[in-house]
Amino acid sequence: MAALMSFSRWRSLGMALTGRSLRSCGSAGWQCLQARGLRQANDREPISRYMGKGRRRSRLFVWGFAQTGALGLPQLSLPRAGRERPRQSQLKPRQLELDERISSAACGYGFTLLASQTCDITKVWGMGLNKDSQIGFHRSRRDRTKGYEFVLEPSPVPLPLEKPQETRVVQVSCGRAHSLLLTDNEGVFSMGNNAYGQCGRRIVDSEIYRLYVGRITVSSEQRRARFIPVDGELMAKQVNVPKHLPFTGVGKIMQVACGGTHAAILNREGNVFVWGYGILGKGCNLSESKVPEMILPTLFGWSEFTPQVQVNRIRCGLNNFAAITNCGELFVWGKNLRGCLGIGRMDDQYFPWRVAIAADVVDVACGVDHMVALTRSFI
Amino acid sequence: MVVCFQADRMVRLTWPLFQTLRGLFAVYKPPGVHWKRLRDTVETKLLKELNSLEQRVPRQQIRFLPSFTEGENGVETSLTVAQLPVLADHPRVLGVGNGNQQLVCLHNRHLTKEYTVQGSFGTATEDFSDTGRLIERTTYDHITLERLERIIAVIQGIHQRALLTYSGIDLKSQEAYELASRGLLRPMHKSPPIITAIRCVHLSPPKFTLAIQCLHETQQYLRKMVHEIGLELKSSAVCTHVRRTRDGIFTVEDALVRTRWDLQSIQAAIQDSRSKVNATLGEDSSGYSAILGEDMPTGVKGQERRSRRSGPRPVGD
Repeated sequence: MAALMSFSRWRSLGMALTGRSLRSCGSAGWQCLQARGLRQANDREPISRYMGKGRRRSRLFVWGFAQTGALGLPQLSLPRAGRERPRQSQLKPRQLELDERISSAACGYGFTLLASQTCDITKVWGMGLNKDSQIGFHRSRRDRTKGYEFVLEPSPVPLPLEKPQETRVVQVSCGRAHSLLLTDNEGVFSMGNNAYGQCGRRIVDSEIYRLYVGRITVSSEQRRARFIPVDGELMAKQVNVPKHLPFTGVGKIMQVACGGTHAAILNREGNVFVWGYGILGKGCNLSESKVPEMILPTLFGWSEFTPQVQVNRIRCGLNNFAAITNCGELFVWGKNLRGCLGIGRMDDQYFPWRVAIAADVVDVACGVDHMVALTRSFI
Repeated sequence: MVVCFQADRMVRLTWPLFQTLRGLFAVYKPPGVHWKRLRDTVETKLLKELNSLEQRVPRQQIRFLPSFTEGENGVETSLTVAQLPVLADHPRVLGVGNGNQQLVCLHNRHLTKEYTVQGSFGTATEDFSDTGRLIERTTYDHITLERLERIIAVIQGIHQRALLTYSGIDLKSQEAYELASRGLLRPMHKSPPIITAIRCVHLSPPKFTLAIQCLHETQQYLRKMVHEIGLELKSSAVCTHVRRTRDGIFTVEDALVRTRWDLQSIQAAIQDSRSKVNATLGEDSSGYSAILGEDMPTGVKGQERRSRRSGPRPVGD
């Protein structure tokens, strides 16, 4: 059939054969017929639908040091024959599958708390180090008198609520070895180490912390963080005496975050200012600063073609920083302790670096050596 | 398509004419034509026009040639006077080929290229274009501009990261921070395809148009990008058109169409682009500089090469 096709007939059949050189015009006629036949066959193909209602799903991503179980992925800690090999750190973000939508997350030193705003009995999940009962009491199956010291999967934290099906957990927060939960009706709950009274109850010498989850009544001032933005200006809390920090040129301060030896602020224009000691995010030459230094917006993706990009949330870990832009991108920088930055390598990062997450990041919780990101799917 | 002029076939050039043809110019390649065929066509046309120009008569020169005569004491050498044509003016002698050097320099600058890519949602094919074998058909009624722009922003973010990773500079150094904060950290050596900017120009489902600015890309990569955008949007897409609108410093407006592939237009195009090329390469118009990146030997050897190439090289038969 190809031989019967003359050159003029091929030309009249049209120029739909893009990408084919003039040299192959002899076989082009046959290909044209084939294309026409294919198009007719294509119309008979079934059409698949992959899109549902279009609700953007919440997803949870974790990365960092995995051996304490703080990531909630037991396959990284336990050797299983034929499955993936256990490793010390998860260097890239990995999704943690959970049925409930998590609204608040917090990372401590080797443990994580996740909370959702549901009215079910199970509202809070904890995983990681539990030697001081900082994620609640999880009774061991082997010995009913003891609890697990390491919880490798997200496990429900039992709370002594009066009306568990009416109360919602609003926020969780973790320290080095203790944690606090804020509920909407029943106040604040604390768990964990109380050697310095950080759980808000009376200090007992040589107390065994493993068995106590208590309610505390605290005033609103004590519940807040160390640095408090008051009317856009900064007050530093030192030994119960708030001290005003007279920074000039930083604009109206909207958010503040502090780490081990450094602090960061975010102003209304979306600019990030850092100061303190350590890797501050302005190259390897700047390792300490007494006054706030601005990090240039180009490092967060701002350019002439994308002028709308700006940072709208800032968080600090012990030795690192995290910033989330309005485009849903997460930037991290600082000391990469056991892979906590999630950039795929163990090197420290001296200026803001994008973390590759397959979702829009809404919030991030930074711990000492791991991080948790609350995200939403793209579509 | 950027073309440089190298004539190693039968051609006769005078020095002023040679000067006007030293440089780079852009040519519009019609779709479906192989680039080699196009280059040969332009070259042949140009050479035909040059050969039809008025030929200069070869100059004559007086030479003293040695000759051998039989004398009483054996073979004696003496000099005889002869008039010979200057071989440098011979029609088959002259060869020029310096334009390639500029092209190599420009390539080593690793400048970005801009493309207009048109695609169509709803089908997935084997080679990611609309003429390939069909793999699947999907729905596309859920695709909105907001969703497409979100995916495109993510792609741009991933590639911005790749720009920094493949730049070849130690990320822990202060130099890396300085360049990254000014947005100048880019790969200056071979790297995988990187998209520096991408935006949606037009969307009317199933058809859409993207403007992509990229480095070190291939056509297959651009088609694959369109396919992956379709997958991220929970549908599928094929690429229907790819059109380059800018290649480094040459844009579509600078490109010569088929009707203008003649000597005067080419000379004018070379003249127009000379200042842009020189500004990019950082050289003056009379010679070539040693800015060829780290691969080119600089120093004594580089200067020797430059001095040898300063004029037309006479080539024997």
